Amino acid sequence: MFQEPINIVITGVGGQGNVLAAQVIAVSAVEAGYLVSSGETSGLAQRGGPVMTHVRVFCRQNYGPLVPHGRATVVIGFEPLETMRVLFDYGNRGTVVISNDRPSYPLGCLQCEDSYPEVSLIKDGIKNMVQQSFFIPASELAAQAGTSLAANMVMTGCLAGTGLLPFGKEFFRSTIDKLFPNKLKELNLKAFELGFDQVFQQVV
Amino acid sequence: MKKILTGNEAIARGAYEAGCTIAAAYPGTPSTEILENMAKYQEIYTEWSTNEKVAVELACGASIGGARTLAAMKHVGLNVAADPLFTIAYEGVNGGLVIVTADDPGMHSSQNEQDNRRYAPFAKVAMIEPADSQECKDFMKHAFEVSEIFDTPVLFRLTTRVCHSKGLVELGERTEVGVKDYQKDIKKYVMIPAHSRVRHYQVEERLNRLREYSNNCPLNRIEWGDKKIGIVTSGISYSHAKEVFGDSVSYLKIGFSFPLPDKMIKKFAKAVDKLYVIEENEPYLEDFIRTLGIECLGKEYIPCCEELSPEIIRKAFLPEKDKKVYDSEIKAPSRPPVLCPGCPHRGIYYAVSKYKDVVAVGDIGCYTLGMMPPLSVTDIVICMGAGISASLGFKRASMKGGRDEKIFGFIGDSTFFHSGITGLIDAVYNKTPAVFVILDNSITAMTGHQENPGTGKTLMGEAAPVIDIESIVKAVGIKAEDIRVVDPYNLEMTQAAVKDAHEAQEPFVIITKQPCALIKEVQKKRANIYCSINEEKCTKCKACIKTGCPAIAFKNGQIVIDRSMCNGCTLCAQVCKFDAVEKVGE
Repeated sequence: MFQEPINIVITGVGGQGNVLAAQVIAVSAVEAGYLVSSGETSGLAQRGGPVMTHVRVFCRQNYGPLVPHGRATVVIGFEPLETMRVLFDYGNRGTVVISNDRPSYPLGCLQCEDSYPEVSLIKDGIKNMVQQSFFIPASELAAQAGTSLAANMVMTGCLAGTGLLPFGKEFFRSTIDKLFPNKLKELNLKAFELGFDQVFQQVV
Repeated sequence: MKKILTGNEAIARGAYEAGCTIAAAYPGTPSTEILENMAKYQEIYTEWSTNEKVAVELACGASIGGARTLAAMKHVGLNVAADPLFTIAYEGVNGGLVIVTADDPGMHSSQNEQDNRRYAPFAKVAMIEPADSQECKDFMKHAFEVSEIFDTPVLFRLTTRVCHSKGLVELGERTEVGVKDYQKDIKKYVMIPAHSRVRHYQVEERLNRLREYSNNCPLNRIEWGDKKIGIVTSGISYSHAKEVFGDSVSYLKIGFSFPLPDKMIKKFAKAVDKLYVIEENEPYLEDFIRTLGIECLGKEYIPCCEELSPEIIRKAFLPEKDKKVYDSEIKAPSRPPVLCPGCPHRGIYYAVSKYKDVVAVGDIGCYTLGMMPPLSVTDIVICMGAGISASLGFKRASMKGGRDEKIFGFIGDSTFFHSGITGLIDAVYNKTPAVFVILDNSITAMTGHQENPGTGKTLMGEAAPVIDIESIVKAVGIKAEDIRVVDPYNLEMTQAAVKDAHEAQEPFVIITKQPCALIKEVQKKRANIYCSINEEKCTKCKACIKTGCPAIAFKNGQIVIDRSMCNGCTLCAQVCKFDAVEKVGE
């Protein structure tokens, strides 16, 4: 038995495939026999703003779509700064963090009007905030699988690799197989496996 | 069968199962996906209407014509459609009529935070409010039945969180109800004063019957728990309240939220020691409960601003000492939305930004971002259509005040069709010397690429006549010499048009034509085109940076262009005085 609900907060910037990752996680959980609720905050996301998605997995009673502040079981960040931003609101000491290590710079930082913190500082900061954190070269791994756009499936693989969810990776694999068009299946499965191995090796 | 659906998908499914045959909408976050999903059912005629007023009027006609009909819009869209709403409320329906309003507490992508629950008592129509995806589907079927049984349009009120959240939904089969016969009945369907006076009495009588129904309606339910605290709530607020209080309190969960169930509320209030009202934005439930003479705790605890969340409720009713979880030295820079790399709006805003005497009135769409630095062009944004109409008033004030500002009104293609044309006619008729820039990117972009009268395609995927913006501009009386049609990727051409416009003494129109950079075919076509910096020629003057393109950065003392983001629009190359930006690919 697991302590329900499992609260997953996924964050990133528009275009990183955050909502699709949430969809894969939610469908996999349902396929495995669990209940889910999920919500997104995108707003002006397509124009480079932050996107956050919540997925909650449970089996006994119903839960709403929003993870309450401070209650994230796991934060999956597709971008280090956004990981940190979300962690401030939703994290606690026991939250597990999985973050892509590649920054996506806000316009103000690109133009030197504002400064983006050193990634190493963000890493150290996050390490001090939670007990377990994984920094993943997700964009590189995705590129190995075929395209850096598949970083979202690398990150999904990482989540599966933590063993935090009460179901196995076969449910993720069959969901990816179902949701992606034929020509993208292999690539996304490969990205998923690369992510899975990264974290699984560190966990066991 | 169970499926994970968003609220919007579930509404489309519910309308489908209820035998809905006609649906119309104007896109607007968070409501857009309702019609996009309804269009997947072949049994339903769906359309993007030119605006919300047209959508609701079409829906009124369809309902009177006998079809179960749905119209959908975002909250501010109902303001546009308020005129038909208030009168169809008198006429009633033939086929069931459901009007969906999707409110946006927290203003994730809206200009205000109005609470459209207030429209139901104002227009005297029934209102239904679901809390999750399953209810979205089930309540929609209920809404069509209520509409036909009580001869009333039904306002179906959603919020962003309900629209965009996902949950498991048990699917059902479609009940084919067909299209009812139409019987001529001018006393019901022609609202001249003599008829309306009679209908108003019937509307009041209908409200009494609806109130009785509300007291016995399965959409309003009591969940008894401990009776020390009783919570009256509705919509997503119910799920937030449950998150905080769990099963430790009693709930009156309202799903049929106009007319409110007075007897049920009294009974519930009597049975509990303390009554809390937990609702987002306005004190809609609370005001009603107080008119019943019942004391309750509501808005003095829960703010009426912003989206409600479990933590706001917890802070309000179960305050703990503020325990700060984290302390960090790191200051996270903000990440505001920006015009995309290759956005065709950038060129025209860049050209206008050079004139310091311009006051720019914007409109609703991606191009609202023309206010963001470094372009910082837009001064005023109100609502759809105001990009043109508010310019007219500002110009008049400027003239009366003896100021010599130049007024530029900006509006998009879809928005021009929505409510820009009337303003332009006003400009010609009243000879208001302002400049109107119609940003034609051949799509309704902001809401995620919907078709519109200018795109040559309907919501149902059929080919359609392309309504030509330039012809409309000419037809309403803008002189040919006062019209410039430019490619905003061509800076010289765009600058020349802006210069002419700036000097013009009568109504002047610039139409920029270049499709949105995010349209799939455009992305494919431009996939191998990009710009790169010739470091030998680059003097690091940062002129290119000042276009505000997120593909360009100043990193480690060098200007760099991110090839994966750049689509080769070449605006940066055109502003570079040193030929240091080179275009690669064709």
